[in-house]
Amino acid sequence: MNPAVGVAALAVVSLATAGIGFYGLRISRTTGDFYVASRTVPPWWNASAIGGEYLSAASFLGVAGLILLSGTDALWFPVGYTAGYLMLLLFVAAPLRRSGAYTIPDFTEARLNSRAVRRVTSLVVVAVGWLYVVPQLHGAALTIRITTGLPSWVGSVAVVVVVCLTVVAGGMRSITFVQAFQYWLKLTALAVPAVFIAFVLTGNGTPSVAQASTNPTGLAPAGPYQNISLLVALLFGTLGLPHVLVRFYTNPDGHSARRTTLIVLGLLSVFYLFPTVYGLLGRIFAPELARSGQADAIVLLLPGQLLGGAAGDLLSALVAGGAFAAFLSTTSGLVVSLAGVISQDVLGGSVRGFRLAAVTSAVVPLGFALMTDSQALAGSVGLVFAFTASTVCPVLLLGIWWRGLTDVGAISGMVTGGLLCGGAMIFGAAVGAAHTPFWLAQPAAWTVPAAFAVMVIVSLATKGRVPGTMPRIMTRLHTPERPLVTER
Amino acid sequence: MTRVRVTAPRTAALPANDTREAAQESEVGQVFVRSLIRSQLWLALVVAGGFLLVLCAFGLLAAVPGLADARVAGIPFDWLLLGAGIYPVIGLSASLYIRTAARNEAKYRDLAEDQ
Repeated sequence: MNPAVGVAALAVVSLATAGIGFYGLRISRTTGDFYVASRTVPPWWNASAIGGEYLSAASFLGVAGLILLSGTDALWFPVGYTAGYLMLLLFVAAPLRRSGAYTIPDFTEARLNSRAVRRVTSLVVVAVGWLYVVPQLHGAALTIRITTGLPSWVGSVAVVVVVCLTVVAGGMRSITFVQAFQYWLKLTALAVPAVFIAFVLTGNGTPSVAQASTNPTGLAPAGPYQNISLLVALLFGTLGLPHVLVRFYTNPDGHSARRTTLIVLGLLSVFYLFPTVYGLLGRIFAPELARSGQADAIVLLLPGQLLGGAAGDLLSALVAGGAFAAFLSTTSGLVVSLAGVISQDVLGGSVRGFRLAAVTSAVVPLGFALMTDSQALAGSVGLVFAFTASTVCPVLLLGIWWRGLTDVGAISGMVTGGLLCGGAMIFGAAVGAAHTPFWLAQPAAWTVPAAFAVMVIVSLATKGRVPGTMPRIMTRLHTPERPLVTER
Repeated sequence: MTRVRVTAPRTAALPANDTREAAQESEVGQVFVRSLIRSQLWLALVVAGGFLLVLCAFGLLAAVPGLADARVAGIPFDWLLLGAGIYPVIGLSASLYIRTAARNEAKYRDLAEDQ
């Protein structure tokens, strides 16, 4: 595509993001504003913001790429990403909002009355956040290379700079506006070209190149174990993601946290129709993209490839802008929540500390991203979900629903899950995807049950350590707020 | 307007006193709370289980050889099923859950207030 158009699109998105961030600065005044937007964000804004933050590089580029490569097997990715929110609604949304905690470590410390648990949770949360930022930066590198021809590192660095500026300037309040804007930008950027392409192709009767069911690369399809393990990771991983959880504190009460989640589910369902459309169109009309190893770029390349000319250029620019919005929004969401954790634990919780922590949380993963090569985006994000599902998820679920959880149990479970899943990830990275046995490549199916089992067994063995504050906190988590809400 | 430096409390999670909790520290109050938690957990498990069953059914249906080749408006049936058909099920489960969870809370509130 035309590099000038690509550069213009990326510049517009970055400027708009920074602009909304600075506008937010004017109304951001207190520490509360900085951390959780004073809990006064209306449900639609908040839901759009959650959607904007959640739809990452993996959703915007990676899902379509995987669908192009593996067909209907890859449709479990968008289904799992959305259904993860259903699990979050069922088990976590309202109680977590009612806990009144700002971050996951706040929650676990209050629930288990233990500083040690807080420290372990903080470590895990920071690990998850950093792991999750890296694929975003890989996605940015890919987008810059494809759309402008500039070297890859420019993309990663640009994302980190814009995110740092926005977060340092405005904190969560402006982030909420930025994220909400970016959901709608991403949806438009994906939907308009998809509808246009489908319309043109079916209108002028372009002959299809291949059947949708034809496997373009001839690689072996995933077996039932991989699909189930992936679903476990996505269903249980979502409810432990730090940038997703922090959003729930911006609802005024537990009931509105649930209502917000329902809107989010609608927004995600609409969004995920489109990566599927791209994947399907790619399989039928441009299967050669899969063979040339550019599957992750299919969303960026398809408009130019299938339409060409000025229309192709314009639509490509739109898609590139949307992709950049995806990296910016997810990265800034992660950076805000990581900065919240780091600044409260290490730097005493001041606004200055928050800013310092924000820069740290963006620069460290940048180093990782520049040192490593990108794999399939949706796949590497899937592993982060597996890690979250094996560490944060058990402590949240058992903490919310089981009175018997103890501090020792929580720590042993998190450490077990972290070591097993982290070990599998390191092993996979060391020997390469081709030589990794399937049960290590997709570890969630056994690491998640192992973490839960250890947490329960050790808690049962240390029954005496159930904190005396437990009944009070369980009451707080599950009883509706006063004054009586407007319902009925 | 003067600018002040603001700091967050280190354990922001637990402000000391909360009327909601104070009212529930009696033994009867705790019985109500336990029963609320039980009914909410049961509800969440039932909705999650039901959804997973439907998900499995969709997965199996998409793998039925004859059906996968069928086409609806030019789109392969298995793509339609997994790529679009599952989302209404998710939305339906969610709204069902929200309504019932709010009803459980209203029931609890009535009990706790009569106390």
